[in-house]
Amino acid sequence: MKRILDITFKDLIELTRNRMTFLFLLIMPIAFTVLFGFAFSGGGSGPEDPRLPVGFLNLDGELLSLELTGQLEASTVFRLVVDPEATPEGLEQQVADGDLAAAIVIPAGSSQAAVAGDPVPLTVFVDPSAISGMTIEGDLQAAANRMNNAILTARIVVAVSGEDSAFEPALGEALAAWENPPIRVNDTTSVPAETGSGSQGNSFTHTAPGMMLQFAIAGLITAAQVMVSERKNRCLQRILTTATSRLQILLGHYLAIVILLLGQFILLIVFGQLALKLDYLNQAGATLLVMLTTALCIGGLGLLIGVLARTEEQAIMFSLLPMFILSSLGGAWVPLEITGPTFSAIGHVSPVAWSLDGFQNILARGLGLESVLLPSLALAGYAVLFFLLAAWRFRRASA
Amino acid sequence: MKAIEVTNLHKAFGETRAVIGVNFTVEQGEIFSLLGPNGAGKTTTISMLSCLLRPDDGDALILGHSLRKDPMGVKSVLGVVPQEIALYDDLSASENLTFWGKMYGLRGAALKARVNEVLEIIGLTDRARDRIKKYSGGMKRRVNIGVALLHKPKIIYMDEPTVGIDPQSRRSILDSVLALKSEGTTVLYTTHYMEEAQELSDHIAIMDHGKLIAAGTHNELVRIVGEADRITLSLNAESARLIEAWKRTRGVQQVDAEDGNLTLLVDDSNQVLPRLFEAAAASDVRITSVDIQEPDLEVVFLHLTGRALRD
Repeated sequence: MKRILDITFKDLIELTRNRMTFLFLLIMPIAFTVLFGFAFSGGGSGPEDPRLPVGFLNLDGELLSLELTGQLEASTVFRLVVDPEATPEGLEQQVADGDLAAAIVIPAGSSQAAVAGDPVPLTVFVDPSAISGMTIEGDLQAAANRMNNAILTARIVVAVSGEDSAFEPALGEALAAWENPPIRVNDTTSVPAETGSGSQGNSFTHTAPGMMLQFAIAGLITAAQVMVSERKNRCLQRILTTATSRLQILLGHYLAIVILLLGQFILLIVFGQLALKLDYLNQAGATLLVMLTTALCIGGLGLLIGVLARTEEQAIMFSLLPMFILSSLGGAWVPLEITGPTFSAIGHVSPVAWSLDGFQNILARGLGLESVLLPSLALAGYAVLFFLLAAWRFRRASA
Repeated sequence: MKAIEVTNLHKAFGETRAVIGVNFTVEQGEIFSLLGPNGAGKTTTISMLSCLLRPDDGDALILGHSLRKDPMGVKSVLGVVPQEIALYDDLSASENLTFWGKMYGLRGAALKARVNEVLEIIGLTDRARDRIKKYSGGMKRRVNIGVALLHKPKIIYMDEPTVGIDPQSRRSILDSVLALKSEGTTVLYTTHYMEEAQELSDHIAIMDHGKLIAAGTHNELVRIVGEADRITLSLNAESARLIEAWKRTRGVQQVDAEDGNLTLLVDDSNQVLPRLFEAAAASDVRITSVDIQEPDLEVVFLHLTGRALRD
């Protein structure tokens, strides 16, 4: 273990003495974050609503459906897009085209059916394979449950009192009671954040993590160059004449890159929190998990680049190519939510997309630890893949 | 126990056979030189003995540790000075030595003390904090050697450590090699400089085209060519009569004619040369140039391979 840390420490000294490191890891991401942030904010014309767009059609229009509408409008995950001329078929098509993240249709006669105790089949169009779809379904289910419970409560009151007129006040009180439920799970990390928390409406919510990830990959240039240079100046061969194994060498380099990336992330997140008013710390545990798995993943990529590149020029090329491909594909420049489902699915080949999903769940949607588990798992998978490829190549490469 | 016992070492790179059946033994505490031209297989041999390359066949015991069965054991008793300067340019001499000391297993106060000692030995204490990239070639070479001394290894491999440096640094390096020997360290030294092998070595092995073609002490090797002086002459005209006369001259062992030059092996050039001039005058032939070589490793190499060492 000591030899691994010795190599890590040596790498970090070399990296911190290279001005390029700071250029890529700090200066450029901050500059581009600010630039893109202002570009996406429309020159400061006001905050946009970052919630997922969900088409909404109420064919009922009675009391219960209006109450349900109110519940849905309060969602912190999605916002209702109401078009008076919309049809169920049209909404389905818009979801299929990726114009909407989902669509909800309340059928005619729903209120009457609900009061009579009959099931009310809400129509929901959603891409079940998309994370956004699953998130919307979860929030919709929560709203439906509240509504169901309130209706059941009101019906019990009517049955006990024998007065039909008691239904509406009882329903109102039952729904109002949800504002202050008797049982509260304080430690949950998966419920939507309270109204006003998170960074909804901040134009940097996408650009800040996007640029951070893009330049984290670009910053692999210097890390890869350290490895290339070590091989070219024969220091690698010299290390191999000591009682140090190849795995120790590889882990030493890997750890250095991961630490460097974590340092970059911490500085940029602190910058985002203080200067850009992005609320990373609202879900500190989730932020930490996404940050760590992202660093492990990009660090693995850096290790692979360092092992593959034979010259400094190759190290630059091998770093810039994935930077452009993975960043653009993964939605670092343009959010995948506003692209079609097909492109969004293809985009998730890039680990950048998973990392952005994680950060967006925290920043834009105010979601907690549970919402970043899947993205983090994907990032960890990429990290293992990149590391194994690097180890395989390093083992095969002649010293 | 022998310091190094090499048995039937083979290594090929594709179709190129770099090392072919090399055998030699190095006693503890001696300087053993592998002498040969560039491409002879010296570096490949040392790379195998450092566990950097796996032999295709054969094995070696390094203080009893087998290359094949116990590479980590081999590495633990070695210090290696590679042919190239294997240092980190962006680190200072002190930082480089500290890092390499850790790679050799040194820690804490012992490491710090040893780094300072080595800086003293290589004469760079006052430049210890300067980054390597600011050093001259000779200074880099000294640090390169210093790295291998850090853990006081019982055996040090030095692969052409004096290539491309100024005479002063070269002298300093040769002196440090002799100092290592006086401390009981075994040194395996490769070079294509005959003078270095001659000055430093207890035993010398000559390599060419991947094969070890001769081995022994300097005197043993010189005896291969019969301890004769080699005189190379140019004449103003060809004369078969003169060649016959020289062959009969007392003290001349052999006369060869090639490319207009005559090469004679003689017992003692000081005594024989006047007789050669007398015979030439008698044959009415003028000697236009004379070159005398006393028996040395260059002559041995020429004798064994038909080529000069620096060809």
